[in-house]
Amino acid sequence: MSVQAQPIDTPKTTEINRKDLIIALLFLIAGGLILVLGGFGTQTGERSIFTDNILGELFSFASRSTLYTAGSVCILIAGLRLIRALDSIKSLLTWGAVFLLLFGFLVWITSGTRLNITGMIQSMLTAATPLTLGALAGILCERAGIINIAIEGMMLSGAFAAVAFAGVFDNLWMGLLAASLVGGAMAAVHAVLSIKYKVDQIISGTVINILAAGATRFLNLRLLEPAGLSSPGQLSAIRIPLLADIPIVGPIFFENSPTVFAMLILVVIINYVVFFTPWGLRMRACGEHPRAADTVGVHVNLTRYVSVIVGGLIAGIGGAYFSLDVVGAFEDNMTRGQGFVALAAMIFGNWSPIGAFMAALLFGFADAIQVKMQILHPVLPFLNVFIPHEFLQTAPYILTIVVVAGVVGRSRPPAEEGKPYEKQ
Amino acid sequence: MTEQQGLENSFKNRIAAWPLWARLTSLAALVGIAVLSSKWLILFLLIALGLWPIMVLLGLGVLVLMSKSRGGWPWMKDWLKARLRQLAVPALSVLAALVIGGLLIMFTDQVVYQTIGEGQIGKGIGMGFANLGRAYVALYQGALGSPIRIVSAIFQAIGGEGIKPILGAVRGPSDSLVQSVPYIFAGLAVALGFRAGLFNIGAEGQIGVGWLAAVIIGFSFPGLPGFIHLPLAVLAGALAAGLWGSLAGILKAKTGAHEVITTIMLNYISFRLSEWVLCGPLEDVQGTCRTKEILSSAYLPKFLEHPVTMHWGFMVAVAAAAATGWLLFKTTWGYEMRTVGTNPDAARYGGMNVAKTYVLAMLLSGALAGLAGVSQGLGITHNIALGFSAGYGFDAIALALLGKSNPVGVVGASILFGALRAGAARMQSLAGIPTEIVQIVQSLVIVFIAAPAIIRGIYRLKDDDSESGQTVFSRGWGS
Repeated sequence: MSVQAQPIDTPKTTEINRKDLIIALLFLIAGGLILVLGGFGTQTGERSIFTDNILGELFSFASRSTLYTAGSVCILIAGLRLIRALDSIKSLLTWGAVFLLLFGFLVWITSGTRLNITGMIQSMLTAATPLTLGALAGILCERAGIINIAIEGMMLSGAFAAVAFAGVFDNLWMGLLAASLVGGAMAAVHAVLSIKYKVDQIISGTVINILAAGATRFLNLRLLEPAGLSSPGQLSAIRIPLLADIPIVGPIFFENSPTVFAMLILVVIINYVVFFTPWGLRMRACGEHPRAADTVGVHVNLTRYVSVIVGGLIAGIGGAYFSLDVVGAFEDNMTRGQGFVALAAMIFGNWSPIGAFMAALLFGFADAIQVKMQILHPVLPFLNVFIPHEFLQTAPYILTIVVVAGVVGRSRPPAEEGKPYEKQ
Repeated sequence: MTEQQGLENSFKNRIAAWPLWARLTSLAALVGIAVLSSKWLILFLLIALGLWPIMVLLGLGVLVLMSKSRGGWPWMKDWLKARLRQLAVPALSVLAALVIGGLLIMFTDQVVYQTIGEGQIGKGIGMGFANLGRAYVALYQGALGSPIRIVSAIFQAIGGEGIKPILGAVRGPSDSLVQSVPYIFAGLAVALGFRAGLFNIGAEGQIGVGWLAAVIIGFSFPGLPGFIHLPLAVLAGALAAGLWGSLAGILKAKTGAHEVITTIMLNYISFRLSEWVLCGPLEDVQGTCRTKEILSSAYLPKFLEHPVTMHWGFMVAVAAAAATGWLLFKTTWGYEMRTVGTNPDAARYGGMNVAKTYVLAMLLSGALAGLAGVSQGLGITHNIALGFSAGYGFDAIALALLGKSNPVGVVGASILFGALRAGAARMQSLAGIPTEIVQIVQSLVIVFIAAPAIIRGIYRLKDDDSESGQTVFSRGWGS
């Protein structure tokens, strides 16, 4: 029996048409907005210039005409999406339109100034790092059938452990290792509570979050600060020789801090393990149909333990990003809800590592734009007000609600998630 | 049926036979008397809390008197046994959590480490215990006051020195009850959701929304008399938070979106928006990220003078608990909510409107959570500042679990947590133990309550079948 909560009284037959209609409408409105921004939000002759640190000027767009083009194409796509014959390239059209909208927005805020596009992509990637690592932890956990809302707690305890052990051993790499291990330990607590004791997995996750918030603060005040260990310094960036010298691509992918590299490598590895190895197949079976998996000889609970704990190890690295990468010290509650954005990225990416990475990049884009907007202060036409940067910060959360509600496309969680498994 | 029970029933029947107006008037009269003498009632309540062992003895005395006419000792033994059975797991959970917290206090101290490191293990452990003693005495006094001081203050008052010394002595109990007010509201919010099968993690955000709305109304209407202004502000807070919470209910009803995800996301949306509002349009003095003070006509009045900060929020909270209990267990709506919470499919089959119930439950849950913010805004801070969220919404989950989603249980658990919080503040100032120890203790309490097998293992209790029927929330995400 399917346990997914079915939408209450929505007729199935008309849903597809209505969904397409809504998407088309959204693109229509967004395209219109881009046209308005182009017409009234820019001055004639203004150019948007995208630059690079080394190469200098990369692209230069005439703002107004570019926006007009982007808006019109968007509206065109809105129309095309409704044509039945084009159903096969529907998702391509969607992504194209999304890209155009983001591009249009970018052109608008840089209208009349310059934007360091490599720097922008770099900060996007950096912002996406903890989100992706957290989302990977969530994916491993949830694909095996254990709900994980404790990503925040695992990352926070990882952030703390990184600082504590980096200080004690006077070695930042030991900090990174300890972060991972402590993240794994927190995950082990979650696993024991929800697998052995069959505690409701949401409650167990909440416990981890509260415990991590309280314990890190307590131990920081009682142990780290008196001993003067709470700021061990930052991890320095690793530069891969030769590859890092490639223009544009080099600085983005081959000159980064260790956590960013770890993230990029782990995305590839986890994606491969989950979807292309026997173990990954067994793990997904534990999340979709544990009884069937058990019947063919998979140790359901053992698999779940392993997945949850490996997830915790990854989340711990995500935690180290906050303390050893960004600040070089521990601050109270320094993950600031990013664990929940990671959860959002996981759902948005439909429980797949690559998808979650894409979602994290999108959220990272919103973050990078938001920082830019605090500097550039673009003024909305007609209303003559700045867009408060906090509005953009809500974007990941709103997008997640939209996706969970299935207004535009629905993400599908593992079927038997959240239920303890008992051998019969 | 014994004679006594018969008498009680006939008393009940006799009141039930009164005409409605007579019942309402007598209720109003009782409430009126309570309000007029509230100052003295509260003072008595605080003293009783401070001298709780005496109150327990008095209670036992009353029980002995009652048992006289009901079969003596065997009846009393059964009664006590039943109560002990109910309280065993929660009480032992709290005890175990306090013990672990104590160990943390003992072994996270620089000086203790040094002493043990120098080879003086016995001395080090002794110092650890001394630390622990100091910390937990401070915790007790912060939470319930010092009994000796209360007794001597009472004698001073009898000796003609007025109630001033008593006020100073009952500060601990008063702080505990003040701290418990937001807990009661938020705990009720989560408990109500639990009953309807909804896991409202969004209480934290709803608290903020209610707080903000109440404060906005609070500073907006100068010249309005208090008896209009205060209720208006309270209602605005409850309504705003209720509507905010009902968003999650609507999403669940219309699309099946899991309320845990939507309430978490709504939390963060409300945090970000409040950052904008508090550091932007509503900021009073540049750079403070804080609103204006509310007008005094919207203050929740206090019962007594400084340093006793008890305000009317406590009474409203207790009334809200009574109302929630009545709603859940005595009305059709409550019946529908509980049925939907136990088995939505059966409820739908039985002809109940499940979608409407979800929306209604989230509306009420949000409104209750909002009242937690309202009571803080109108009773304590009189404004709203950035970083207002003090974790009440998350602790509320523990409260609802500890109180077994029962309003009476929630009030009890809230007073306990309020006492811990009030005590922790004193523990920090006297013994230098960070208040976060309370958070650790609370999370351990949730663990033990949610996994009674652990507690049973530690204390070697027998299995109790009555607890296996817990609600399950994790039915999977999203779709």
